[in-house]
Amino acid sequence: MAEFLQALAQGLLIGSTYGLLALGMGLVYGVSGVVNFSHGDFISLGMFLCLALYSAFALDPYISLVITVPLMTVIGGLVYWYLLRPMVGHQFLMVVQLTLGLSLVLQNGILMVFGGQPARTPSVVESKLLILGDVVVRVPHVIAFVVSFAMAIGLYIMLRSTDFGRSIRAVHQNAHSAALMGIDVSRVQTLTFALGIGILAIAAALLLPGTPIQPAQGLRYTVITLIVVALGGMTNFVGIMLGGLIIGLSEAYGTIYLSDTLGMLLPYGIFVLIMLFRPQGLTWSSSR
Amino acid sequence: MLEVDHLVTGYGGVPVLHDVSLTLNAGEIVGLLGANNAGKTTLINSLSGMYAPMSGRIRFEGHDVTAMTPKQRVEIGIIQVPEGRLVFPDMSVRENLLLGGINARARAHRPRTMDHVLELFPRLKERLGQNAGTLSGGEQQMLAIGRALMAEAKLLMLDEPSLGLSPLFVQYIFGIIDRLHAEGLSILLIEQNLNLTLRHAQRCYVLERGKVAIEGASDVVKDDPRTRRAYLGL
Repeated sequence: MAEFLQALAQGLLIGSTYGLLALGMGLVYGVSGVVNFSHGDFISLGMFLCLALYSAFALDPYISLVITVPLMTVIGGLVYWYLLRPMVGHQFLMVVQLTLGLSLVLQNGILMVFGGQPARTPSVVESKLLILGDVVVRVPHVIAFVVSFAMAIGLYIMLRSTDFGRSIRAVHQNAHSAALMGIDVSRVQTLTFALGIGILAIAAALLLPGTPIQPAQGLRYTVITLIVVALGGMTNFVGIMLGGLIIGLSEAYGTIYLSDTLGMLLPYGIFVLIMLFRPQGLTWSSSR
Repeated sequence: MLEVDHLVTGYGGVPVLHDVSLTLNAGEIVGLLGANNAGKTTLINSLSGMYAPMSGRIRFEGHDVTAMTPKQRVEIGIIQVPEGRLVFPDMSVRENLLLGGINARARAHRPRTMDHVLELFPRLKERLGQNAGTLSGGEQQMLAIGRALMAEAKLLMLDEPSLGLSPLFVQYIFGIIDRLHAEGLSILLIEQNLNLTLRHAQRCYVLERGKVAIEGASDVVKDDPRTRRAYLGL
């Protein structure tokens, strides 16, 4: 029973961050139809930036956010404006190839700068534990959970009640009509992509404490994110967060009850099963 | 107020509009008639800046707007109500109206403009919190016009406002068009409904295969035998 609860706690805590990763991808897909295959490598970039800032200035990953979030947001904006924007809307396959290429560039760029050995970025809270009865949770996981849900709620409120948020939804629902209202569609798409990458910088710092990182890990995060987004129904906020929790839980239960390696396969097995029986995703309506 | 001068527009290098010229004076309702594929929607979208013209000029209130982006044209008051209404279906009526007034010029007085729009369309007031996708066709047309008024239109371009509406709603919408005209708004009206357009517009242009075939006061256009022929695309 203790094992069961332990896995439950761990799965929920990590799953919330998976949900946050997927929200960024879902938003970008919603406004520009871009599926970003370099998503996971941008997470890597965020993590290695934290490592660099730790090596140079001994900054804690949580503090590095002050630098990495604006930096990654700007990088995201530039990547969309100069690389993706010319292709978006008429060259779907080119966009896929471009983001795949970007993934290789990022991965090898990181490899070139940091080398291939697994690295760690220490944080003051890294080894702190929270003990609730039989369940022991790591403080970084709790922080990740709280921040991820706070971010998700904040994004939701932003989409509902600000002009920028309404512009994002307008472009998602009908880009032509949005342009006729005087919304600059390319600008909204660029800012949304930048926002998505900025969110990744936060997610990277949340996942970092206690996790060894290496340059080739990006693909794993990309795949997890794609699965969560597909489960959630691409642009459905609640569905995506729920999808994140399901993947987090299946990973946690898999590692505890099966084995380390087999356990990592469980989320994919569950994904295939859900897609077999509910190809439309988890939630009833997939529109927003 | 609006002068279109020898406009040529097309897609992928193939012109759809050939050398179209038209004018619209402040406070006028001008009708734009023509069969399907005559180029009416292409023309209105060119005026909105959705396509760059291959040649020709568009002037609005004395300024050359040919090179302006759609956003800049909205900001100077050229507003389109698109064919099929294209309201944002998964947003509330209120949110649709707020989006209508999102341009820099209109944003500051949105509350006041919204009061005016809701007074014009009491039905929308009852449905403020409802998603636009759940409205009837007629209500969506009201919303589409209301959204354009929120943008503080100086020139309102209506693309097929009666499309798919019941006769009662058509009458209502044209009543609104007359009222907006009486308030001094300039209106460019694209319509399939020939008689209705001729009755409400002061002047009309008939487009035929991307060219202006007939133009003049509505009475003159009405009696021209070529009008019906062009309209039927014969």
